[in-house]
Amino acid sequence: MADDALTARAPFGGLAISAAPGNGVRVAERGGLALATVHVRRGQITALTERVRARFGIELPPGPHRRVAGDVAFAGIAPEAWLASSEEDSNGFARSLEAAIGDLASVADQSSGYAVLRMTGPKLRETLAKILPLDLHPRVFLPGDVASTIASHVGATLWRLEDGADGSPVFEIAVFRSLAGSFWHCLASSAAEFGFARRETLSSGMPNQ
Amino acid sequence: MNAREQQEVAQPNRLAGAGRIDRSRPLSFRFDGRRYTGFAGDTLASALLAANVRLVGRSFKYHRPRGILTAGSEEPNALVELRDGARREANTRATVAELYDGLDARSQNRWPSLALDVGAASSLFAPLLVAGFYYKTFMWPAALWEKLYEPAIRRAAGLGRASQEADPDSYEKAHAFCDVLIVGAGPAGLAAASAAASAGARVILCDEDFLLGGRLNSERFEIDGMRGASWAQQVEAELRSHPEVRILRRTTVFGTYDGGLSGARSFGALERVADHVPIPPAHQPRQRLWKIVAKRTVLTAGAVERPIVFGGNDRPGVMMASAVRTYLNRFGVVPGRRAALFTTSDDGWKAAFDLAAVGVRVVAIIDARREVAPALLAAAEHIETQVLCGAQVVDAHGARGLDRITVRDHAGERVQFRVDVLAVSGGWNPSVALSTHVGGRPRWADTIAAFVPDGMPRGMVVAGAAGGSFTLADALREGAAAGAEAAQATGFTTVPRPDLPVSDELTAVVPLWSVEASESKAFVDFQHDVTCEDVALAAREGFRSVEHLKRYTTLGMATDQGRASSINGHAIMAALTERAIPELGTTTSRPPYTPVALAAFAGIHRGKHFKPTRLTSGHAWAEARGATFMESGDWLRAQWFAAPGETDWLSIVSREVKTVRSGVGVCDVSTLGKIDIQGQGAASFLDRVYSNLFSTLPIGRVRYGLMLREDGLVMDDGTSARLAPRHYIMSTTTANAAKVMRHLEHARQVLWPELDVQIVSVTEQWAQYAIAGPNARHLLERLLGDAIDVSNSAFPYLACAEFAWRGVTARLFRISFSGELAYELAVPARFGDSAIRAILSAGEPFGVVPYGIEALSVMRIEKGHVTGNELNGTTTAADVGLGRMMSTKKDFIGRVLAQRPGLADPDRPQLIGIRPVDPSARLYGGAHFLKLGEEATLANDQGYVTSVAFSPMLGHWIGLGLLVRGRERRGERLRAHSPVRGGEVEVEVVAPVFFDPDGARLHG
Repeated sequence: MADDALTARAPFGGLAISAAPGNGVRVAERGGLALATVHVRRGQITALTERVRARFGIELPPGPHRRVAGDVAFAGIAPEAWLASSEEDSNGFARSLEAAIGDLASVADQSSGYAVLRMTGPKLRETLAKILPLDLHPRVFLPGDVASTIASHVGATLWRLEDGADGSPVFEIAVFRSLAGSFWHCLASSAAEFGFARRETLSSGMPNQ
Repeated sequence: MNAREQQEVAQPNRLAGAGRIDRSRPLSFRFDGRRYTGFAGDTLASALLAANVRLVGRSFKYHRPRGILTAGSEEPNALVELRDGARREANTRATVAELYDGLDARSQNRWPSLALDVGAASSLFAPLLVAGFYYKTFMWPAALWEKLYEPAIRRAAGLGRASQEADPDSYEKAHAFCDVLIVGAGPAGLAAASAAASAGARVILCDEDFLLGGRLNSERFEIDGMRGASWAQQVEAELRSHPEVRILRRTTVFGTYDGGLSGARSFGALERVADHVPIPPAHQPRQRLWKIVAKRTVLTAGAVERPIVFGGNDRPGVMMASAVRTYLNRFGVVPGRRAALFTTSDDGWKAAFDLAAVGVRVVAIIDARREVAPALLAAAEHIETQVLCGAQVVDAHGARGLDRITVRDHAGERVQFRVDVLAVSGGWNPSVALSTHVGGRPRWADTIAAFVPDGMPRGMVVAGAAGGSFTLADALREGAAAGAEAAQATGFTTVPRPDLPVSDELTAVVPLWSVEASESKAFVDFQHDVTCEDVALAAREGFRSVEHLKRYTTLGMATDQGRASSINGHAIMAALTERAIPELGTTTSRPPYTPVALAAFAGIHRGKHFKPTRLTSGHAWAEARGATFMESGDWLRAQWFAAPGETDWLSIVSREVKTVRSGVGVCDVSTLGKIDIQGQGAASFLDRVYSNLFSTLPIGRVRYGLMLREDGLVMDDGTSARLAPRHYIMSTTTANAAKVMRHLEHARQVLWPELDVQIVSVTEQWAQYAIAGPNARHLLERLLGDAIDVSNSAFPYLACAEFAWRGVTARLFRISFSGELAYELAVPARFGDSAIRAILSAGEPFGVVPYGIEALSVMRIEKGHVTGNELNGTTTAADVGLGRMMSTKKDFIGRVLAQRPGLADPDRPQLIGIRPVDPSARLYGGAHFLKLGEEATLANDQGYVTSVAFSPMLGHWIGLGLLVRGRERRGERLRAHSPVRGGEVEVEVVAPVFFDPDGARLHG
């Protein structure tokens, strides 16, 4: 029996697009993103904050914000809980995080648990207004802000990156993997009137992202 | 189509030049099959009036001919069907239906035709069809109600027909946020929007009309030296230049809802995105339902002119004075050739002057007031008309449309006038609805004889006519002030602006609710055919409160919700019962303010998108393997896998079971809840949430656990594995995953915040496959190779391990639901598809089959394992034979209440197995147990069947059930009585384990 490495399957892979042609909304799947939930151990918030600062150069945000340094980011998703992400090493990130902070926080690998999309385009806010019950006005929801919310009956975590080179807003959204199809239906229908396109990658104005 | 239908009808009533319509864009449409033309900017109502169509529908109960009463969304009479086929829409108000090229509209509630309606004969029986008629007449015999009365009434009394086809159009929902929401874009709303927008506030301005301006488009107002309509266009252009302003035309704010923590309040609004085109453009919804969250709201919804109740007041040709002006000034349409005015207000006189100005002969102004402002009388001298003060219209005549009115003058003499249009003004009712949806009650204002908003929702202010300030000057001033104030309240700085010079107006009113000397039927509620006499009857019969009046007479219960009628009805009741109107009060108004299609509330969540669907990472593989799926909560799970040529589900399932029990099978169990539990206090946390002990579980081992609710009944069962001293993985049933997670969060955050324990759902992270059967180990050895030793000694029953395999972190648990030698292999879900293919490939030499949850269920019944059917919220651990799992060495959730006498009662039903005495008999779930020879009554009930399956291993049906004192009744014969499925089977009570009772196969 050959020991072929297992191959990953992208949660949004194979989902169809039927939309008016155009670039109103563009999305790219963030398949390689490593994710882990981090829940601080009881009474260890100060120690964890210091450790994260020392190891990752990140000031652990106390509220719904996302802080980035290098290829690692921490996004506040609940009181004393974060979704940590890494652009590299999607299989080993949780383990290395565990090694770095495991005595101060409970770490759980979620790299497969979420389906993550990066979204941009001049009509992105109009599209998201149909899906999210959130005020995403540029002065209200800033780059680095995070929301744990509901996306048309589907639980979701949203964060904003720096605007793209064309001035369009850039957001990323994470939904449970099993719900990728339902979320896709909702996103694709909502974006259809503006033109909806899929890309392999999308850049944002944020360094290393 | 005959020649008459081919021929296009001209627009004899269209004035040259006037109005806010685009004469360069003629539009062709049909009404009842005839072709007409109108112009862009017309409503269906204005275009019909332009073509001199006065009769547009028949009334609900009496089938009386009806025309167009108003020019707004309060229209009670001119209800039509729009479009045809799947897009047919009933009960649309012609007064708000925007005309488009190719519009096909039909009148309603008439047969065989609008002009010749057989049902109108019911008018002859009118004396019988009074208020409460249905209640009184059809009470007895009740049996006839469904078969005879209701269908007959539904045929006779009714409105339009709904399309029976699926709606081909789409609908969507959207959210919007703003500093200032302005409801209504009349003069007050435009002034408010302008003030707030110039301060930089985020403004949303909504209007139900397709044109901004409100009454400015309908009146001959002047603002700042320009026509009111031009001023509206100027303000609209200014607003459009502000990037933070969103103008929502064709959008009705229909409901005020709760406020948020920050003081913001939410509103429901319906935008008719594509109702004004034949077919919505590609990817455009027909309608969009907005949830608008506003920090401040300015209610500038205007007012609705109220009719006067007099004999024949429903004849086509009787029209609100304000509507007459709208048709003249906005649409350039004269609604008649010889007009009269019946008014109790100064404002009404404007209709006479506007009619005269375009050359319509105004034969009489009938003002019910004895004294009228000299300025009005002076102005009337210029238009050659007869002014009758202190007079009333007592009857309006004309079979299919108004041709004559009878007036009783101040001396009591009757005078008749030949007219084809009668403008009516009974004063104005402020549109207070949105101020009342969250509990505010309007207040009676004597000066305007109407209700005005009171007890405003927090964050909402009213301006202009909606607040009872009826002059243009007041509307502009109050609007500008309210807009500025709202902007300031949300943190913006405003610059004071001077008041604009505007035309003068007189607005005095002395209400005349009803003409007592009426000589024919006088309608209060046009749409529901409620007359003045019906109100009197309700008063006589004791239905005197407004709520009783409404329900007894159906006043205000039609699609217009009584916007034009209710107050007249209440005032008549007040007079009859010698009370003041404020004493009588008003009925409670609730959202929606105007009808909203249910499709808009559903949005994109239609059909299979009604709720989200969860798919496991092996879904595509299962689909390709011929799986039939079934819903399990939001998940789709493979029910069974048909091999080529297989069609009978029972034989497929039996094959899957036999293969597992004799070889090996694999089942996707990814949907089971998986909760990661870590922390110093993880072990004691589990001890407290499970009834059995977990702190003693060795690392690398799994234990079956039972969880109780606080009330002592079983909540869920599953396994927990200890991966490290402070790290457990709990599994829950698929159905209860979310409930258990909530339960644990509550326990962690509320019950024992002192415990160091962190929990997180990892259900989605792991794809998990059960590999079961005598050859399961052989398959795993081939699959996992050197990654892990799965020999019985190294990896015994209830072992678990995490290990690296083919580049990923995998987990293996030796647990079994089927009763076979079995393992569950977990891999990160993105590798789930790859893993299941690898499992199948490794199992090929052993004839591995995928099996679905039906086979899983058969095997668990054969083993007597309980699931949701038995753990159904009514059973204790002891009931289902798990009493031994109730630890006596520790406290846990549910322990105390499980000791209640009722839960410890030996007479409680207990889990048993059953088998049919006749082995060929089929068992049914839900059948009730009865002793042999006892009658099937509730008193004789002995329990019920919870689960059944055909056991391919035993060759007959088997079942589990809950039977009173079941454990001590083995060997007893009972009847399993199933009245629903019409059968009864004699069964024998047996132990609830049918296969491998010693569990030898588990340990192989």
